[in-house]
Amino acid sequence: MSTAELAVTGVQKRFGGVTVLDGVEFSCPADGLSGMIGPNGAGKSTLFAIITGFQAGDEGRIRFAGRDVTGLSAVERVHLGLGRTFQVPREFGSLSVRENLMAAAPGQSGENLLAAFLHPGRVRAEEAAIRERADAWLAFLNLAQVADTPAGRLSGGQRKLLELGRVLMLEPKMILLDEPFAGVNPVLIGEIAGRIRELSARGIGFLIVEHNLAALAALVNHMFVIDRGRLLAEGAPAAVLADPAVREAYMGGAA
Amino acid sequence: MEAYLLAVAVIALIYTLLTLGLNLQYGFTGLINFGVVGFFAIGAYTSGLTVLAGWPLPVGLLLAALAAALASWPVGLLSLRLRIEYFAIVMLGYAETIRLVVTSESWLTGGVRGIAGIPSTSAALGLQADPTLVTFAITLAAVVAVILVTRHLIASPFGRVIRAIRDDEDAVRALGKHPGRFKVTVFVLGNAVAGLAGALYAHYITYISPDQFVSLLTFYIWVAMIMGGAGRIGGAVVGTVVLMVFVEGSRFVRDVMPGVAEVEMSSIRLGVIGLALMLLMRFRPQGILGTKGNP
Amino acid sequence: MGSAYLINLAFNGVILGLIVALAALSITLVFGIARFPNAATGDVATVGAFAGLAVTATGGGTAAILGFGVLTAAGLSLLFYLILFRGLADKPPVASLIASIGLAFFVRAVLTFFVGHNQQVYPLPIVRAVPFGPLRVQPTDLQVIAVAVLALAAVFALLHLTAIGRRMRAVADNPDLARASGIAATRVLVVMWLCAGALAGVSGTLLGIKTVVSPEMGWDLLMPAFAATILGTIGNPVGAVLGGLLIGLAQELSTPIVGFTYKIGVGFLVLLLMLLVRPQGLFAGNALVR
Repeated sequence: MSTAELAVTGVQKRFGGVTVLDGVEFSCPADGLSGMIGPNGAGKSTLFAIITGFQAGDEGRIRFAGRDVTGLSAVERVHLGLGRTFQVPREFGSLSVRENLMAAAPGQSGENLLAAFLHPGRVRAEEAAIRERADAWLAFLNLAQVADTPAGRLSGGQRKLLELGRVLMLEPKMILLDEPFAGVNPVLIGEIAGRIRELSARGIGFLIVEHNLAALAALVNHMFVIDRGRLLAEGAPAAVLADPAVREAYMGGAA
Repeated sequence: MEAYLLAVAVIALIYTLLTLGLNLQYGFTGLINFGVVGFFAIGAYTSGLTVLAGWPLPVGLLLAALAAALASWPVGLLSLRLRIEYFAIVMLGYAETIRLVVTSESWLTGGVRGIAGIPSTSAALGLQADPTLVTFAITLAAVVAVILVTRHLIASPFGRVIRAIRDDEDAVRALGKHPGRFKVTVFVLGNAVAGLAGALYAHYITYISPDQFVSLLTFYIWVAMIMGGAGRIGGAVVGTVVLMVFVEGSRFVRDVMPGVAEVEMSSIRLGVIGLALMLLMRFRPQGILGTKGNP
Repeated sequence: MGSAYLINLAFNGVILGLIVALAALSITLVFGIARFPNAATGDVATVGAFAGLAVTATGGGTAAILGFGVLTAAGLSLLFYLILFRGLADKPPVASLIASIGLAFFVRAVLTFFVGHNQQVYPLPIVRAVPFGPLRVQPTDLQVIAVAVLALAAVFALLHLTAIGRRMRAVADNPDLARASGIAATRVLVVMWLCAGALAGVSGTLLGIKTVVSPEMGWDLLMPAFAATILGTIGNPVGAVLGGLLIGLAQELSTPIVGFTYKIGVGFLVLLLMLLVRPQGLFAGNALVR
């Protein structure tokens, strides 16, 4: 096992009397392309929130990039290179698409109010560089033609791409995607999957939570199955989907 | 008539300053400041007392803004971590508490009797000119300055982040930025503007007492800001003008309807502001002039 | 003198605390189910108190004051839901909060327009205080305590023992359920607003019996009630009641230290300290809202 990985050990979470996560354990390479599935209510969303630091688990530890990040805030985890998107895209609706990406750029001296007024030259130079980077990602994501549109006017699929672009501005080691295909038309799903594959080839790791099993299986190299707050199975997508226990979990959930 | 219009214009400009400060907080950042009048009062008393003690007017104005900023910093630091509804309530209570202190500490503030004989702007500057005209000039300059600074600020990377916070705070956190730092800065800055407005008010009216600093004024400013369209600088000015037409116009209603006493008129003003808040929220939350889709 | 004085202060604190608790429970119910802090709660309480005053003109006693005050407040509360808050339900909570402040102003404006700003008292027979050891107890104090406790008990019985109450708690726990179940949610909301209005009405009339009736009484009640709500974790009914008692006691017992003028500021101070130490409230965990 390399140190550059995401490892989850013994994570538990209860809400009132309900146990949502019951000792989940798994680890995936930080530069891999992994997926996570599970029936509704299996605890995926909660696990996602705990890994990214938006919720605290009751027990268990999260390690990322060779560090124990359990006690770190969501913001600090981002600084270590762990990016995320949201299940329902949370674009900055009144900002233009380009501004959405530019807002994400880390380490801007113009975010300091005094610098914004006292060092206009430096801020302008930084802005130009950030804008160039943002436009490059927009071109990569095929969003260049809507760069000046308010993000609130984008279609559902475009918002998913926009969120991906925003995370990419952070230059993350690994990105957690929360249902990138939900509510997206099949053509755009193919496009999003293509972009993810290309980014993966460039060395960015992915862990993707998704309900669209076929699209996910076609994309990832490794799959985790969560059921009733535990890890039920893991392995190559074809093998996992053929696993009788996994089939039963899904049938049971559907019945 | 000209003198009257000038007097109304001074008050309108002072309210415009308050609206601009609130617009920065709510319109651009989404902070619900229900305590505007508290910082306005702090500015008024600070500058009034400073200049009465013999300091020059610019020192009074500067200290007023500084005092309002200082008074908002700890409470902002403490409560901006909270859910937005909690914060709104805390601010409402904070303004009431400030009024309580002003009313109780009569050794400093004159208590309910207030402070009379505050030097007017022109007197404080040692000028012979009409104090209304001098106040008008200074306040207009302040409004222009605040508008220019706000525009620059909104266009800067800082401004981009606060607008992002207004749209979605969690998403800002997911980008590795702490919303709290930005929110406290904006909160303190907006309240400094309110403090400056209070100082100008004190040197214009020359008499201040706790009665002038009730919560109703806070919501005058809210109505002005929402009418003009939160998040638009020009809207703050337009909204304030509409508000002033209403407030001043209501004085003429009494000439037309002589049966209405001043006490009843104050009830009517309160009722109309209440009604305006309800109707705006129900039908035009984006403002009278705003376009849909710009929250 | 010392301990007897303190005991009397504490007794007064409990009474005031119960009145605050009623208003806080009203706020917390609305927050748990309609999801915004209702700033009009205090002014609904004021209307309740004035409705009670109107009934005394026809010779009504304490029971008539309470009955008419509570009915008026409950009816008004439902009316406000139907004509104002229902239409705001699909907007962000902030819209409802701002509208509720507008409503509070509007109600107070109507009241002051018609009845003026004067303080008034209920023309109830004056009864001599009865000494219980160091404690001097007014018989009306006992009535106030009894009514407040009964009203609180009734609401908790409704929440825990009836089908509609259980549904209220379920809706509070899970807003998606509310959306999915449609008509059932409307009934829950109607009952909740009636309940919230009735609680405000009890609070207002009892405050009127204990002190005086004035158009500003409700607005002044709002801050301690909000403080109690947050103190007891917003959305948590038990917390709201305990928070109310705590605020009432803190206000009264601090009088010898801070004096009468700052008494009303004490609630706010307690709230600030609380937010510093435990921003989620004292009773997070078993709240209506997570």
